[in-house]
Amino acid sequence: MSAAVAARVAQKFGAENVATHAAELAAYEVDGMRPAAAVRVGSVEEIAELLRFAGAEKLAVIPCGGRTKLGIGAVPARYDIALDLSGMNRVLAYEPRDLTLGVEPGARISDLWGVLGCEGQWLPVIDAFGDRSTIGGVLAADSASPLRHGFGGPRDFTLGMEFVTGYGAIAKSGGRVVKNVTGYDMHKVLIGSLGTLGVITRANFKTFPWPPARDVFVAHFESCVGAMDFCKAVQKSPLEPRLVEVISPEAERLISASAKTPQPLNAKGWSVIIGVTAHRRVVERHARELKELASQNKAREFVRIGGDDQSEILNAACTVPSFILAADLGAVIFRIAAVPAVMAALAGRLAKVASDAEIQYATLLRPHGLVYFALLPNSKPPADVSRAALEVFRSVEEMGAKARIEFAPVELKRTVSVWGTARQDFELMRRVKNIFDPGNVLSPGRFAGGI
Amino acid sequence: MELRIIRELEKLLGREAVLSSKEDLQLYEYDGSVEQARPECVVFPRTTEDVAGVARISARNKVPMVGRGAGTGLSGGALAPQGGILTVFSRMNRILEIDAENLRAVVQPGVVNLDVTRAVEHLGLYFAPDPSSQKACTIGGNVSENAGGPHTLAYGVTTNHVTGLQLVMPDGEVVRVGGKTCETPGYDLTGLMVGSEGTLALVTEVTVRLSRKPEAVKTLLAVYDRVEDAPETVADMTGRAITPAACEMLDGWTLRAVEDFVHAGFPMDSAAVLLIEVEGLTEAVEEQAALIMEICRTHNAREVRLARDGSERDLLWKGRKNAFGAVGRLSPSYYVQDAVIPRTKLPETLRKINEIGERYGFQIGNIFHAGDGNLHPIIMFDERDKEQFERAVAASGEIMRHCISAGGALTGEHGVGMEKNELMPLMFSETDIELMGRVREAFNPEGWLNPGKILPMGKGCGEVRIPVGGAKALGTL
Repeated sequence: MSAAVAARVAQKFGAENVATHAAELAAYEVDGMRPAAAVRVGSVEEIAELLRFAGAEKLAVIPCGGRTKLGIGAVPARYDIALDLSGMNRVLAYEPRDLTLGVEPGARISDLWGVLGCEGQWLPVIDAFGDRSTIGGVLAADSASPLRHGFGGPRDFTLGMEFVTGYGAIAKSGGRVVKNVTGYDMHKVLIGSLGTLGVITRANFKTFPWPPARDVFVAHFESCVGAMDFCKAVQKSPLEPRLVEVISPEAERLISASAKTPQPLNAKGWSVIIGVTAHRRVVERHARELKELASQNKAREFVRIGGDDQSEILNAACTVPSFILAADLGAVIFRIAAVPAVMAALAGRLAKVASDAEIQYATLLRPHGLVYFALLPNSKPPADVSRAALEVFRSVEEMGAKARIEFAPVELKRTVSVWGTARQDFELMRRVKNIFDPGNVLSPGRFAGGI
Repeated sequence: MELRIIRELEKLLGREAVLSSKEDLQLYEYDGSVEQARPECVVFPRTTEDVAGVARISARNKVPMVGRGAGTGLSGGALAPQGGILTVFSRMNRILEIDAENLRAVVQPGVVNLDVTRAVEHLGLYFAPDPSSQKACTIGGNVSENAGGPHTLAYGVTTNHVTGLQLVMPDGEVVRVGGKTCETPGYDLTGLMVGSEGTLALVTEVTVRLSRKPEAVKTLLAVYDRVEDAPETVADMTGRAITPAACEMLDGWTLRAVEDFVHAGFPMDSAAVLLIEVEGLTEAVEEQAALIMEICRTHNAREVRLARDGSERDLLWKGRKNAFGAVGRLSPSYYVQDAVIPRTKLPETLRKINEIGERYGFQIGNIFHAGDGNLHPIIMFDERDKEQFERAVAASGEIMRHCISAGGALTGEHGVGMEKNELMPLMFSETDIELMGRVREAFNPEGWLNPGKILPMGKGCGEVRIPVGGAKALGTL
């Protein structure tokens, strides 16, 4: 984009709202690409106007909030304007007695927890990047919080959305009541769309009551198989844990290295972290029966976590990707959807792929259906890392699971498709893109199949 | 329909799988709604390839194609208002796989909802969405309508329990979206398809999430002498963040109609009852039940009865789930709405409905999913009396407008279909509807798949028509 166009953007949206200097723009880089301007928008109408302007000028726009997840997705094909939503951070409607909330996309998760906490409620969203993450980013990236185990993901508690399409139309889908089947659920496709379909300008959620009591337990196992057998036993029991996270010894070492080490994560084996939120009597029953199940499944140790360690360990469990990136900026982090039955075998196979390539690795299993696997190449030649990454994709596919790379250095993203091989439903996805953003204004190239 | 097309269908599926005589077609001109529309031919495919073949014939000959499960839908979704081929999935009724370890089942669309639970209950599992028609309605229909039911209060509607679909596109292409895994990289096409009322693709295979049966269940019946105390109880429960597994309300008139028919044990002299169920671990259920009983009493419940055993519980639910049938015995015609309101607005909305009923001279029964604000006011009228019919339509419109103005939605679980499509502008702007039209066009470009549903056609749509009035949407996000 020429300096002239940048000047027009500044003129149109007010110089005070538009950054055009290199130093300011560095913060908006995506995969090393720097936009010519960053526009801090304050209203839905401004967003619509900006997108119409960009469409007419054939400019590419990437929406952002806390800018913690801009590295997710493929390298953009073009990038001219950063659309900064961090100033649109108001709570638009909160009805504690209805357990519903409507917010702007720039609202930070931590701030929302504060607002909801005053009414004894919360939203089961935790992001790997903690305080800086915004709700718009969590939705656009469909952030995988371990709380999905007990509460489902954003698609399960998002009631409706307002958004601006790539061609600048202000539209909505869903509503603000907890049950609603009126019209197409268009907001479902915006969740996880990485800003390629529309700019989310409002999201409505179902909120949740803050539980009367909570507790955290950690069980240590010799092997991944042992840890997963324990998880299966828990799943088959009547118990209702809200969070279950299985951490490999390698992942524990990274957590220990980069933060105040939560004592129970001692990197001596595979750890299963279990979070329970319920009435006190229910929590106590979990304490008893989890201990029993751990013992039946040959746990080396079963610990009930108390006091400050509880928050620290939960925080560690929820933010593992950020620990991995802190340990190795060149890390290649895969997000793999897998059924529980194959998880242990998959973890073993991926470990072998990494070992064969002489690359360090770390694994995190969420028995509700997700595996995080990271290659930690340190100073390995990029070609070796790319080969190993392709091998990971192949292995995952052979085991009936579905992988994508969530974080990787741009060099690798230029050689390996972060979305894996194109699937049969890609043509339908392309049609969806054409509905919402026919001019390919929004985040071009970041999505699957080059969308 | 041209005989040539019928012959083509017979060649594809066999003569026994195609109906085209007037007498046969008459059976398919109704569903559970008040709408009526006769298809030109009915086919019974057995395989996905059969469905793809029918789609190709429909596309090639430019005739509409409409999917149908058991025909229990309440918004005309499974009717063929523009004629064409009605594709009935009753012969695609096999459970293809039960994967208990991963809590999944793969089923054909014609499998009856309750049969999924029956097939897995020996494993301690069940399929959570439980529409009142669950003994008859099919999974394909549930997916199309994003069906709900009483227990969706705690467990969510169909979309929360479907992870993958096999689709037949209107041109006959077969595509899989999602799968057994909890997510699939890319856009959430499964989420878009569920609830699209058969207007984007036909579903030929469904991967559903199975749930573990709760350890303990308690069913409570709270009995009230004043109708307004029941919604106040619900609002208070919600406000105190208590979410039972189900929370249903029946007003006095409706419960008497039900009791006469089902003998469920509802007290005939009461003004309203709440049927509340709590599920989960024994300790949690005990605590929740005690708390709920206390709240009911605070709001003047004259009695809070705990179902003694499974059979008493089943009987109470039988009363609830057969309510519409009971009402049907009392009135020549009745019209059930499906609006949703924010739960705190329940007391005032019920007062408003009562006031509207009195003003228009109708008995309006109320039986609904109180816990999630999903109303089902039942207006009883005689459609043979034109003046009465007009009044029923006007009363219905006023109720719907009130609900939307209160921040509600047109339909909580019955779908838009051909019954409420002309009402969409009450809730959505022109831009919203235009975008939905683009969604439909992208998947169903020629419009042959289930035409005349969801989106307004700009003309009267059926037996019960509610004037939309001004162009401005009443609904806000």
